[in-house]
Amino acid sequence: MNKAPWIFLGVLFTLSLSWWGMVFGPSVQLAAQSADKGDGTAVLHRVGLAKQGEQVYRENGCYYCHTRTATGGEFGYELRLTQLGDDREITDEVLGDSVKEGDDNHRLIDLAFAFKAVAKSRKAVVDASKAVTEAKDEEKAELETAAATAESELASAYTSFETTFADVASGISDQEGKDNLLFAAYGLSGVELKEKSVMTRLGMGEQIVAANKEIADEAVIKLTDGTAKWNARINPESVVRLKDLVRGLKTRAGAQFKLQPVVINWPDVQNGVAARQSVTRDFMHDAHAMPGVMRLGPDLANAGGKPALADANQFYVHLYQPRLISEKSAMPPYRYLFRKVKLNAGEAAPDNALEHADLEEGYAIIPTEKAEALFEFLKSLRTDALPEAPVVDNPQPANDQ
Amino acid sequence: MSELTDNTAPEAAPEEINASCRWPVLFLFFSAALWLVKAALIGVMGSFKLHMPEFLSDISFLTYGHLQANAWVAFLFGFGGNAGLGLTLWMLSRLRGAPLARPGFVIAGAVLWNVGVTAALVGITLGDQSGVAGLELPVYAGRVLLIGQAFIAFSAILTYFSRRHKQLYPSTWYLMAALIAFPWIVGTAHWLLAATPVRGAAQIPVGHWASTSLLQVWMGCLGLAAVLYFIPKIIGRELFSRQWAAFGFWMLLLLGGWVNLNSGSPLPVWQIKLSQLASGLFIFVVIAVGWNLRQTARGVPLLGSENLTLKFMGFALGAWIVSGLFTFCNVCPEWNSILQFTYANTALRHLFAWGFFAMAMLGGIYYVAPRLLGSSLDWPCGAWMIRVFQMIAAGVVIITLAGVGMAWGHGQALQQTGIDAAALQTKAIMPLRIAFLGEILFMVSSLIFLGSLMCLLFRNCCGDFSPMALWRQIREGNQKEPVETEGSAQ
Repeated sequence: MNKAPWIFLGVLFTLSLSWWGMVFGPSVQLAAQSADKGDGTAVLHRVGLAKQGEQVYRENGCYYCHTRTATGGEFGYELRLTQLGDDREITDEVLGDSVKEGDDNHRLIDLAFAFKAVAKSRKAVVDASKAVTEAKDEEKAELETAAATAESELASAYTSFETTFADVASGISDQEGKDNLLFAAYGLSGVELKEKSVMTRLGMGEQIVAANKEIADEAVIKLTDGTAKWNARINPESVVRLKDLVRGLKTRAGAQFKLQPVVINWPDVQNGVAARQSVTRDFMHDAHAMPGVMRLGPDLANAGGKPALADANQFYVHLYQPRLISEKSAMPPYRYLFRKVKLNAGEAAPDNALEHADLEEGYAIIPTEKAEALFEFLKSLRTDALPEAPVVDNPQPANDQ
Repeated sequence: MSELTDNTAPEAAPEEINASCRWPVLFLFFSAALWLVKAALIGVMGSFKLHMPEFLSDISFLTYGHLQANAWVAFLFGFGGNAGLGLTLWMLSRLRGAPLARPGFVIAGAVLWNVGVTAALVGITLGDQSGVAGLELPVYAGRVLLIGQAFIAFSAILTYFSRRHKQLYPSTWYLMAALIAFPWIVGTAHWLLAATPVRGAAQIPVGHWASTSLLQVWMGCLGLAAVLYFIPKIIGRELFSRQWAAFGFWMLLLLGGWVNLNSGSPLPVWQIKLSQLASGLFIFVVIAVGWNLRQTARGVPLLGSENLTLKFMGFALGAWIVSGLFTFCNVCPEWNSILQFTYANTALRHLFAWGFFAMAMLGGIYYVAPRLLGSSLDWPCGAWMIRVFQMIAAGVVIITLAGVGMAWGHGQALQQTGIDAAALQTKAIMPLRIAFLGEILFMVSSLIFLGSLMCLLFRNCCGDFSPMALWRQIREGNQKEPVETEGSAQ
């Protein structure tokens, strides 16, 4: 420590270590990040006014009082069965106590397997009929017998379906309730019926209407209650059960399922700050990444997804005079982002002028391009689902901050 | 404090060293005092806006966002740069026992530096702030600062190599590190955030590293160099341990840029964990420096001392240790998750900037400035300097207590569900409103300091031609004239 060159080199070396850890490493890692969301879409660049709005946000130092950082929280997994496999026995074995005989989910599964049986029998009939048509004369007799058997099995499948449906829907009197049940089971079965005759026979109508299609698409059976964590130290039994179920459904039953995160204790989601945690890709295309300093005002990670920005006029009035919208707001008015134009007697205000009962009469308050750009920028801030940050289910009511 | 030299060149006399440093260093000190006033004034205006959001709200550059950025840039580069570089030059000259080399370069560098800071403030006023909290410097201003610092560093390095020593005092390590760290940090920020900016999210760790390094490494090295220099010097003891000092020095350089990253930052987990680990290890830096100086000054009441420089240095050391302990607390994500979006981070920055750095710099200037003007000179208007010390100390205590204490309530409210938005905002604003008192104290103390420094300069800067001497001559001339007239009339 007494040789100047060694001090010099030592300082350079130590600073370079520090630089490598927090500058080089993260820059290399994050530069390699892909914009692809994995579903054919990508995290998009901001363009036009929204891009300019980021500069307005920066030059006014909005990031001092507003963060764009929704934090993580405590959540569990709800295992949602979305499509059944083909084998009923294995399915029952895998599901075990998760679905008890006689409960609603069990009956839904009964009906779904009835759908599968009909679809399978119908396919056998079609295949047999095709084979008869294409067969040589000496084979026809044998194939016609097989086709007749298939027809008989289809009839039996129809009967079985009707019996099951009557049983499942026994307590339901209204048609809507019955449709819900029918199409939920159809969705869970995973079969796709296109023949009008078959659909009519099963009570689905000649064509599936949009509402019923939505029921089919969103049909799930919740197998766990959303308290199980993947690597929980607390309640390990639930984790073991969750893992067993996932393994069984995937490798043995051939079913399809979804592990849906559900809020246990997640203030930012429960308070309506955002729908999920903020992640690096939220800042991917930012010219200047500004995660924010303090939450003197609300967090803006999901500003674009909030009702406050649904109405442009309300936002502009808030920007022009915050206390007209929120009486105790500590936000300063940004009047310099607006033009105040005196109106002649009888002159109507322009279409884009602000509307509020307490604004000064005889003047039109018109947002400048900077105010419009800021609005577009804030609208572009959203916490839509990303593969690395799925939107979390929040069963509790939100309190929008 | 005495250094072993190999006698290749005779050690210069303190008077010679002081004479060589006089104008460049006094220019830097005076600039620092002016920037300190500006920083404090802008800071007060910014805080006032939180009491009265409507106040001058039609003027774009007087929003909280503009003022906050300007206040910090004025403090960090205006006051911090000028005071830090001024003390660096003087301490290096004294520690090396050689007169300041090429003082003309220092003057040129200081002018460029101040042009750079002025450009930064004008730029931020016009809306050119960088968007990185803690390093709001516009690109062009950064370039000017780098050139200005290069001029000054050139002089410092020539001074450093102008005389050989067998042993380097630890303050020299810190000063050299500060001289190297500044271009490294600002250069990195310029390169990766402005010239060829890295991709969006990567700017978050880069910006954090740059702003934290400026605070912990650059300002930390400058402040600790002064503390390590003045405490042993004034109490007349050798530093307790060079080994402890070396350990603290290297650990500070390694960890300084990594600490204090918010646990909720939208970054890969390893980066947050790295920062938490560094914050945890930072306790060793605190122990190394704190224990070393505690053993050095064992039995000497630093804050209770009669010597005002020692008081300043004692408070600076205490504030640095407290700040280091708060840094250490960030090893615990539960702690950080409560305070991360509250006023606490800003309050702790005030603790570091005013409590540690400003105190160390002002203590140093209080000791050095009179010596630059005359060997036996004491600080005139010195009674006011104790008020400067008291007011900054009170301001720091108020801001730290309000900032951390009340921000804790805000942070806990952020962790609750179903809390009313208006109640949340009240909790968020309250610590800032209390901290306003501290900001006022900073402003008054900075004005007093500037006045006191002007008093020193006006009385002593140019011998018989100092403004005070000239004023006395004019006054005496005016008093004599009527007497003569009266006499002639008689």
